[in-house]
Amino acid sequence: MGQRLKPVDVVTVGVGLTGSLTALELAKTGLTVVGIERGAGRDTVPDFQSPAIHDELRFSIRKAMMQDNVKEAVTFRNNSDQTALPIRRWESFLPGTGLGGAFVHWNGQSFRFQVADFIYKTHIEQRYGKKFLAACGSDLTIQDWGVTYDELEPHYDRFEYLCGVSGKAGNIKGQIQPGGNPFEAPRSRAYPTPPMKEPYFGALFRKGATELGYHPYPQPSANLSQPYTNQEGLSLRQCVFCGFCERYACEHYAKSSPQTIILPTLLKKPNYELRTNCQVLRINLDSTGKKATGVTYVDATGTEYEQPADLVLITAFPLNNVRMLLLSGIGKPYDPKTGEGVVGRNYTYQTTGGATVFMDESININPFMASGANGTMIDDFGGDNFDHSQLGFIGGQYVGAIMTNGRPIEFHPTPPGTPRWGLEWKKAVARHYNHTVLVQQHGTSTANRFNYLDLDPTYKDAWGLPILRMTFDFPDNDIRMSQYIADKVVEIGRAMGGKTVVRGGTKRPYTTTVYQSTHNCGGAVMGDDPRSSVVNRYLQCWDVPNVFSIGASAFPQNGSYNYSVTIGALTYWALDAIKNRYLKAPGPLVPA
Amino acid sequence: MTARRHFLRAATAIAAINFGLVELAHAQSEPRKPDVSRGAVIAAQGTATGAPACALCHAFNGGSDGSGAFPRIATQPASYLAQQLRAFASGVRANAVMSPVAKALSPDDIADVTAYYAGIKAPYLPLPKPAPALNKRGELLAKVGSAAKQLPACDNCHGPGGAGEPPAIPYLAGQYAQYISFELQMWRRGYRKTSQEVMSTIAGKLDDQDIAALGAYYQQVLAPDQTPPLQQEMR
Repeated sequence: MGQRLKPVDVVTVGVGLTGSLTALELAKTGLTVVGIERGAGRDTVPDFQSPAIHDELRFSIRKAMMQDNVKEAVTFRNNSDQTALPIRRWESFLPGTGLGGAFVHWNGQSFRFQVADFIYKTHIEQRYGKKFLAACGSDLTIQDWGVTYDELEPHYDRFEYLCGVSGKAGNIKGQIQPGGNPFEAPRSRAYPTPPMKEPYFGALFRKGATELGYHPYPQPSANLSQPYTNQEGLSLRQCVFCGFCERYACEHYAKSSPQTIILPTLLKKPNYELRTNCQVLRINLDSTGKKATGVTYVDATGTEYEQPADLVLITAFPLNNVRMLLLSGIGKPYDPKTGEGVVGRNYTYQTTGGATVFMDESININPFMASGANGTMIDDFGGDNFDHSQLGFIGGQYVGAIMTNGRPIEFHPTPPGTPRWGLEWKKAVARHYNHTVLVQQHGTSTANRFNYLDLDPTYKDAWGLPILRMTFDFPDNDIRMSQYIADKVVEIGRAMGGKTVVRGGTKRPYTTTVYQSTHNCGGAVMGDDPRSSVVNRYLQCWDVPNVFSIGASAFPQNGSYNYSVTIGALTYWALDAIKNRYLKAPGPLVPA
Repeated sequence: MTARRHFLRAATAIAAINFGLVELAHAQSEPRKPDVSRGAVIAAQGTATGAPACALCHAFNGGSDGSGAFPRIATQPASYLAQQLRAFASGVRANAVMSPVAKALSPDDIADVTAYYAGIKAPYLPLPKPAPALNKRGELLAKVGSAAKQLPACDNCHGPGGAGEPPAIPYLAGQYAQYISFELQMWRRGYRKTSQEVMSTIAGKLDDQDIAALGAYYQQVLAPDQTPPLQQEMR
């Protein structure tokens, strides 16, 4: 068991977005909180300063900020008939590591989910009838979240104001706002800061989308349009459009991250202690298996410790939340053969892709002048914003000209027919680099009974523990959805003035060798029924009430949008219940 | 350029010559190219509209004098210099000396004279070395920033060693200490309003010692015998 340390009130497993946010709120109540982070400590100064931070080879290609998959990989297969193999190079998704977690290297795309997303099954059945869902796929396992948009709204608001999100409101208390997204769920007030400046590629998209009758709006961004000070007294700067957001940390204090919006206040709290380079091996349970006693972890010297705690918060990357539950024996693992069990069930991802629009040489895009979230986009095909009754699928995607960088190693668009190397390839890159617009599709991922997470029977991590196994392929429903929208995107590309428009859209099989999205979610989903969820509507484990599993692992399925702001809102929602109810009377917040 | 556009331009030009409007047609079809020789004349002699010769203070080679009362402008990006002249004229960057000068310059004058100074090299004058402690403090702020003050490193935007990030961001390497410190004070006190969103916030976090240190560091970062800034190599 290792050396037993002095008991504390709360321990967080991981110190990224959810780990730092929960620690800050609970430390404010006077509780002693320990944050255990597997990676290194790091801060804007000195760690994120340029020119070192703009090392594309180190950060984009060699993934310096990501989970060390020599120590801790994930195995992958498309279906249960295959043998999963470890992913030794992150490509499809990028789990972060180190203080601040993946919320350091994110792009800053800052959306809320929609009203229907939280009552997804109920909504689909009400709008299209009960038979419709089965017709889209008999294996689909979508469900309601157990929390509604209205309940989350104050927490969305609070989180957006913590981040200082730059955007244009589309719907304030039911009033549609010109220039914003008319499909937006009603918000109580405007965004904290005005939207980012629209780049030329965004203006071209706006023109094309408007011609076709769609509703363009500026993408909400957590890379800020102007200086801002949040409710914790921490200040952010204005983004300088350097084009190094995702896969990088911001040197300018312009991107919301734990380092800019949470940690400076948290680290000053005398009742908070951060322990970096410490790997949590498991959550310890007492003899009944119904109560956690703390966690066991190993520090950088290999010494094992037991940290007793009254309350354990699993605040790791979503995939690692699920793994921690499985390693600790909390909740019944999901079995795809019987459909029984919950941990690992409803793992979902994100449907991505999009069109490449090649423009005339007279149109200069300057893609290097970019920020992670300064696109112009439409939600006309997002979620359930359009009538699906004749389409034979559920779900949707937002569509937008969202170009986050023009970095030399990663960005070299060439039209079809171009050789993959050599002089002709170089000529084509030189011709098209500055005259190409990427129009992204980004949308829902529907849960089905075949996609799940469990512990790999063969492969172990550096500490001898089984690594996570991912079994995933896109359901046919999602392919039909994405391909339908791909046609619409081609029309937009032409209306933008594209000379050649290369059609996108999601295809099967899902592959882990091409970047798509780091929005891995589900596997420890929330809900009202312990037979179909791991945590209740407050993210509290049904089986072990003094453990909360916080983050996107709780999403029963994924919505159209980038998920970080919804994670923040859910965290504040769970914290509200912990502070105001759980701490006063520890025990289940919802009767099982 | 498509054949159709070639034809259109040719047709327009012919029509314009007929009506004696060559200059206008030129302006419409393609932006006027800066005239560097004309810029050199303005630098040396000033303009008939009353702008004095730039060389009086900035020297004909743009190196100014070592007093630091006037900045080095040699090899500074033309678009940056032009932006500053427009800001002097509009009062966004109010300055008793430069505002009347800038007001006397036409847009073409500005384009020509900034192109001239952007393209010229000036030697680095031998100047007294700063106190090592002050220099070190400046170097730290310039290269690393300050965690305590939540201050990013200057080099993030101004380039490695303060070499500049043309065309938008000026070099600081070899700039006179007096000038750098004075301008940071102007931002800190709210008089200078160019790049206010970025530079005012940053200057607001600096104390007098920081400001002196930054000036001292950037002035000496290119000693006279060293290789010229990266920026010159790139030109």
